[in-house]
Amino acid sequence: MIHDVIAIIQDYWLLLLIGQYPNGPLGGLANTLILSALSIALAFPVSILLALARLSKWRLLRWPVTALVYITRGVPLLMLILWSYFLVPLWTGADVPSFVTMLTTLVVYQGAFLSEVVRAGIVALGSGQMDAARALGHSSLGAMRFIILPQALYNMIPSIISTFVSTIKDTTLGYVINVPDLTFAASQVNNQLLTQPFQVFFILAVVYYAICWSLTHVANLVERRITRRRAGLSGGAAPVLVSAKIVSEQL
Amino acid sequence: MSTSAAETQPLQTIRLSDVCKSYGDYPVLKNIDAEVARGEVVVICGPSGSGKSTLIRTINRLEEINSGSITLDGQNIHAAMRTRELNALRSRIGFVFQNFNLFPHLSVVENVSISPVRVKGVAANVAHEKALKLLDRVGLADKAQAYPGQLSGGQQQRVAIARALAMEPPVMLFDEPTSALDPEMVGEVLAVMKSLASEGMTMICVTHEMGFARDVADRIWFIDAGQILETAPPEEFFKTPRHPRAQRFLADLRH
Ligand SMILES: Nc1ncnc2c1ncn2[C@@H]1O[C@H](COP(=O)(O)OP(=O)(O)O)[C@@H](O)[C@H]1O
Ligand SMILES: [Mg+2]
Repeated sequence: MIHDVIAIIQDYWLLLLIGQYPNGPLGGLANTLILSALSIALAFPVSILLALARLSKWRLLRWPVTALVYITRGVPLLMLILWSYFLVPLWTGADVPSFVTMLTTLVVYQGAFLSEVVRAGIVALGSGQMDAARALGHSSLGAMRFIILPQALYNMIPSIISTFVSTIKDTTLGYVINVPDLTFAASQVNNQLLTQPFQVFFILAVVYYAICWSLTHVANLVERRITRRRAGLSGGAAPVLVSAKIVSEQL
Repeated sequence: MSTSAAETQPLQTIRLSDVCKSYGDYPVLKNIDAEVARGEVVVICGPSGSGKSTLIRTINRLEEINSGSITLDGQNIHAAMRTRELNALRSRIGFVFQNFNLFPHLSVVENVSISPVRVKGVAANVAHEKALKLLDRVGLADKAQAYPGQLSGGQQQRVAIARALAMEPPVMLFDEPTSALDPEMVGEVLAVMKSLASEGMTMICVTHEMGFARDVADRIWFIDAGQILETAPPEEFFKTPRHPRAQRFLADLRH
C-alpha cells in the first residue's frame, strides 16, 4: 500500500502539483492554494463590510444585506455553485471561466458565514467600548477600525480560522464545475490507474489535512503571540495554552 | 486690553433647559433645568434608577433627548449637526465611566494617546510624550507599557481619567467613577479628581462619595425620579436638606 502511494506520487507528482500546466490551465495543488488564498483574502474584507452593514442604523443598508446573509447561509454551497455556473452565463451571456465562478461563489458564501462571526464578535464586546470611543470624539468608522474591530477580530480568531479551513475544504466542490484543482487532478490520476482509488484519495486526504492543519497551526502561533503580549508575559504561560486549545478544538 | 478673561468668557458653561427624555413611554428625565458655571464642580446624587447616568450621558449626547436643549458655551449639543461637528464637540467633553471602559488591546500609554492622534491629528510622538506626562500626573508613569488587564481597578480608572484629559476637554463628566472599585482603591481615584477640581476644571460627578461631595463640590444636585428636586451648596444640603426625599436619601445613606 505505502509502496503504491509512493509509486503514484513518483509518477504523477507534477500533475498533482500544477495540473496540465504549461500545456493546459494551471491546476492541481497550486490552483487549490491560489483559489483558497484568493477566497479567504476576498471573503474576509467582504465579511467585515457585510457585518458593518448588518449593524448599520440605515435600514436601506441593513435589510438587503441581512436577507442576503440569511439566504446564502440557508442554501447548500453546491447548489449556489451550480446556480452561478449555469445561470450567470445565461443571464449575462458572458462566458465566465469556472475558476472565477467558483471564486465568486466561495467569496459570497464564506463572506456571509464569516460576517456572522464578525458581527457576533462586535456585539459581544458590549456598548462600553463604543461609548468610550464616541465620548473621546472618534467617528463611528474610526471607532470600528481602531477600537472595536481589533478586539472583535482577535476574540473571534478561533471561529475565523475554522471558517478559513472550511473555505479550503469547500474548494474541492469546484470539481463539479471542472475547476482544475487538486481534487480534479487526483480524479484524473484515478481515471488513468482505475485500480487504486484508495491510494489516490488517500494522498488527496493527506494533502488537504496538511494544508488545513498548517493554517490552524500558524493561527495558534499568532494568537499565542498576541495573548502573550497583552498579558505582558515573556514565556508561554497558562492562559496561552488555554486559548491555543480553543483554536485546535474548533478544527 | 482692559477686559479680563473672566469678562470675555460667558460665566455659564453648560446649561440644560427643559430637558425631557423617555425610554418608550417611560419618562427618565422630566423638565431638567440646570446650569454649571466655568470651574464649578457639581455632584449629582440620588437613588439608583433616578436618571443620573442618563442625565450625564445626555450632556455629551451618548443619549439623545426628546425635547429641550443642552448647551456648552452657548452651542447646542443636541442640535442637528454634521457628525464631524458632533465628534469635535464630544471630544471637548471628557467622560469617565463606572466600568473604566479602557481599550484592552492597547497598552496604557496607547490608551491615552490614541484619541489625540486619531481624532485631533496630533503627531504620534507628541501625543506619546503628552500621554506620559498625563500618566505621571495620575501617578502611573511606571505603568505606561502595561496593558489594562494587568492593572487594578483603581489604576485603570486613573488611566481612564488620563485618557479623557488627553483631549484637553474644558469639561469633565464622571459617572460613578468609584462605584466599581474595591474600597481601598476609592481614595486614589478621588485624589486625582480632587486635584483636577483644585486646578479649576469644570466637573459634573455622579457619585455616592459624600465625603468627596462635601470637600470638593460647589453645588449638589439631588435628583429623584428624573427630576432635580434640590440644588444647594454641600454644607446646606447635608445639614438642612429641604426636600423630604433628599432628607430620606441622606438618612438612608448614613445607615
Ligand atoms: N437603554 C434603556 N432602555 C430603557 N430603560 C432604561 C435604559 N437605560 C436606563 N433605563 C431606565 O432609566 C432609568 C434611569 O436609569 P439611570 O439613568 O441609569 O439611573 P441611575 O444612573 O440614576 O441609576 C432606570 O429606571 C432605568 O431602568
Ligand atoms: Mg447610573
